[in-house]
Amino acid sequence: MVEENTNEQDSQLVGLLAQFDDPDSLIAACNQAREAGYKKMDAYTPFPVHGIDPAIGIKRSILPFIVLAVGIGAAFVGIGLQFFANSNYFDGLSPFPGYGFNIGGKPIFSTPANIPVTFEIIVLSSAFAAFFGMWGLNKLPMFSNPLHRISRFKRATNDKFFLMIEEADGQFEYATTEGQLNEWGAVAIEECRQDLTDTKLPRWLTVAGVMVAILLLLPPVMIFRAKGMTERAPRLHFNPDMDWQIKFKSQTVGPVNNEGEPLFEDMRAMRDQVPGTIAFGDLEADSEMFEGIKSDWKPEVTVTTATGSVRTSLGENQEAGGVSAADDLTKYVTSFPEGIEVNEEFLARGQQRFNIYCSACHGYDGNGNGLVNKRAMALNAAGEAGMGTRWTTAKSLHDATVKDSKQNPLGRIFETITHGRNTMGPYGAQITPKDRWAIVAYVKAVQETELKLKSDQEADDSDDSSDNSSEDDSANPRP
Amino acid sequence: MHSTRPAKITSPVTTLSGGHVRTIPIAIIAGAICIGVALALSLGSEFRLKRFMYTYLSAFCFVLSISVGCLFFVTIMHLTRAGWSVTVRRIAELYAMCLVPLFLLFLPILVSVLMGSDIVYEWNVAGWTHHGEAERAAAASLPYNQLPPLEQLKGKFLNSGFFTIRVIAYFAIWGFMAYFFLSNSLKQDESGDKSLTAKMQAYSAPLMILFAATVVFASFDIEMTLSPLWFSTMFPVYFFAGAILSALCTILLTGMYLQRTGRITDEITVDHYHDLGKLMQGFVIFWGYIAFSQFLLIWYANIPEETFWYDLRFVNNGWRGMSIVLLIGHLFIPFFLLMGRGLRRNRTLLAISAIFILVMHWVDHYWLVMPQMDRAAVELSERATGAHPTFTFSGIGIVIDIACALGVVSLFIAIFCGIVRNRPLVPLQDPRLGEALNHEVH
Repeated sequence: MVEENTNEQDSQLVGLLAQFDDPDSLIAACNQAREAGYKKMDAYTPFPVHGIDPAIGIKRSILPFIVLAVGIGAAFVGIGLQFFANSNYFDGLSPFPGYGFNIGGKPIFSTPANIPVTFEIIVLSSAFAAFFGMWGLNKLPMFSNPLHRISRFKRATNDKFFLMIEEADGQFEYATTEGQLNEWGAVAIEECRQDLTDTKLPRWLTVAGVMVAILLLLPPVMIFRAKGMTERAPRLHFNPDMDWQIKFKSQTVGPVNNEGEPLFEDMRAMRDQVPGTIAFGDLEADSEMFEGIKSDWKPEVTVTTATGSVRTSLGENQEAGGVSAADDLTKYVTSFPEGIEVNEEFLARGQQRFNIYCSACHGYDGNGNGLVNKRAMALNAAGEAGMGTRWTTAKSLHDATVKDSKQNPLGRIFETITHGRNTMGPYGAQITPKDRWAIVAYVKAVQETELKLKSDQEADDSDDSSDNSSEDDSANPRP
Repeated sequence: MHSTRPAKITSPVTTLSGGHVRTIPIAIIAGAICIGVALALSLGSEFRLKRFMYTYLSAFCFVLSISVGCLFFVTIMHLTRAGWSVTVRRIAELYAMCLVPLFLLFLPILVSVLMGSDIVYEWNVAGWTHHGEAERAAAASLPYNQLPPLEQLKGKFLNSGFFTIRVIAYFAIWGFMAYFFLSNSLKQDESGDKSLTAKMQAYSAPLMILFAATVVFASFDIEMTLSPLWFSTMFPVYFFAGAILSALCTILLTGMYLQRTGRITDEITVDHYHDLGKLMQGFVIFWGYIAFSQFLLIWYANIPEETFWYDLRFVNNGWRGMSIVLLIGHLFIPFFLLMGRGLRRNRTLLAISAIFILVMHWVDHYWLVMPQMDRAAVELSERATGAHPTFTFSGIGIVIDIACALGVVSLFIAIFCGIVRNRPLVPLQDPRLGEALNHEVH
């Protein structure tokens, strides 16, 4: 039964391989082999056969315990890593002090926040432990196995069942074992032999491998060398298109011509707008719409700014940062400019914008008692130095002078929102002109109806017959 | 070893032979007595009927989740064409069928809602957003003039009429699903028609979608709206995780009981219990994962609209202790109890684990439901008298809770026995029965 291609000198017996035709006879043979005292044996089947494990006496794998140990270790590593990385307990003790981040006011070491990372580390480590542990226990990677030299064995992946008893087993005796296998119903028995010919690599391959390994070391060596020394040569530019783009960043030195001379005298990259020109979309010529000032009003001084928009000034009458007593109230428009249609939707928009931008100080009902004001007054009352003591109370929109359309025409309210007034800051940059007019409309509506939103009881929405009753609505959806 | 297992059912008895019929009146009487004791003691307690209704709701949710979990088990087994579970599937089918009579147990709560009472659900009375929770939640983040819309918005969903329609729809859909699977499976017992299995598989996919939708909204309606301003989209998953876990425990314990009393012999092997144990451990972890995910998001965002729900359970009274009991008892202990292969293949240990998890699952629903009564009662009392009664774990209170839970479970057992009648306890002619009988795992 010994196969033809075995040479006693070049090979060593590993074991005897017996072939069976069905799983039941294989299991029966395995049971008998186990009872006969064989320990070093293995079965090979094309599919998982139930009951084969106890039949060949395989012990439970210790892999679960490896995974458990690694998992528990990983839990400590995960928690410890976060404890170390995000703490400030090691300041001065370690060359790597923690970051000590304050995240959302949470404690530096906060158990719930650390659980997801710990969990992930446990999962990853356990998976690695299971995967590589399986490799280790199976002695993988194994590049060759003597069984693969037997052509008959190929059918182990197809339709035949094999039992191999190893020569290393204490019970193994060639003739006895062969006889027993025959007795247990083996269809065929073959020797499994290990090739003993020289397994050394050819010399040239070894040399080539060493050289490649040395060459592979060069890049990291060069990187480490570069880290520790000063380099005078300019850096390499692998992608000049990206490194030198045909553009100029703001606040930098401007372009140069081919001779290296600056193109502009002042050497700045940012250029002023050409006098007398207006950028596309920046023409705000309609002073009624954009300034709240009548278009036929002639200021004493006209200043044409560099951006080209026409700004009006009161000249000598204007005082820095404040309003002049001689403020020319006739210049402000007293009706909404053309293109602004005041309707319910527009007022609702105004209310929404008002609640966002104005209510913080002026309050939702416009009585000047918003949250910022309340806080400032509380600080004032407590006598705490700081913002509170310098606080000027926000104006109530129900104040007589504010309400008076003679002293405060529509255009002036618009101007106040746009440029600010007294201690109130300008909002022109945050709010679009149309929205500013919407706020003006809402402010007028609030003043007109004396709207009190303070509580449901005080809300007076039943006997109001004015046009503005529609927006006196305490049930507005959230902004 | 390989060929020793049968390919067909060999045991003589696969039905309950009458003995369980005698159990039905005993269980009903025991249940009625227990519930009566709980009701009487509740009426004498500080919170009167409210105390009973909340305890009853927590016990009801406990048995409801078992049935719902069994319905899921049946559906997923058809959906995945599982062979191993055929011998235990009938038990799950029978428990799922209990969902129809379980509607009767929900009637006390439904009637209270239809009567316009806020004894259970505080959203059932107009102006509920102005009650304490709303003020606290809203004052923290919203201007007062914007409060009413919340009630208006939520009122469209949370009103007695729509609530009743929804609850009836849930039970109707569940009942239909349970009936579909049980009746077809029983039909197969008679005829052996293999096309019935194909039919159930084909329908299991759309029914699973229907199941998911109903469980999501049922958990919202029945348990989450006890705190009508609180919202968590993770809540239905939490409910589901507990439901499937308790269903697995119940299937396992029922299988062991039936085997012990000789109604089932070789059909269920240690390998089936081993697989159920594996699933149990998986869902213990899933429960912990979901519970923690829900907590972490709310804890991290730290928005008062959401945190007050946990604040109630972590800071007030004895609820903090119960939260810790849940964390350890519902997650850590079962996790290690079910960890090893040897532990999972040991029937005694597995049964102990299953009973322990079921008890913890009841504690879980108690923890979901009862703190809301605490909160509501304190606020009602504050408005009425200025006094601050707080819920405390007293001896009488524990008797109420345990009596009520035992009563509801007794009724559940009576329902189960009524559903079982003379029906076979194993699908006798399922095409995958042979696979299940020869099931082997490692």
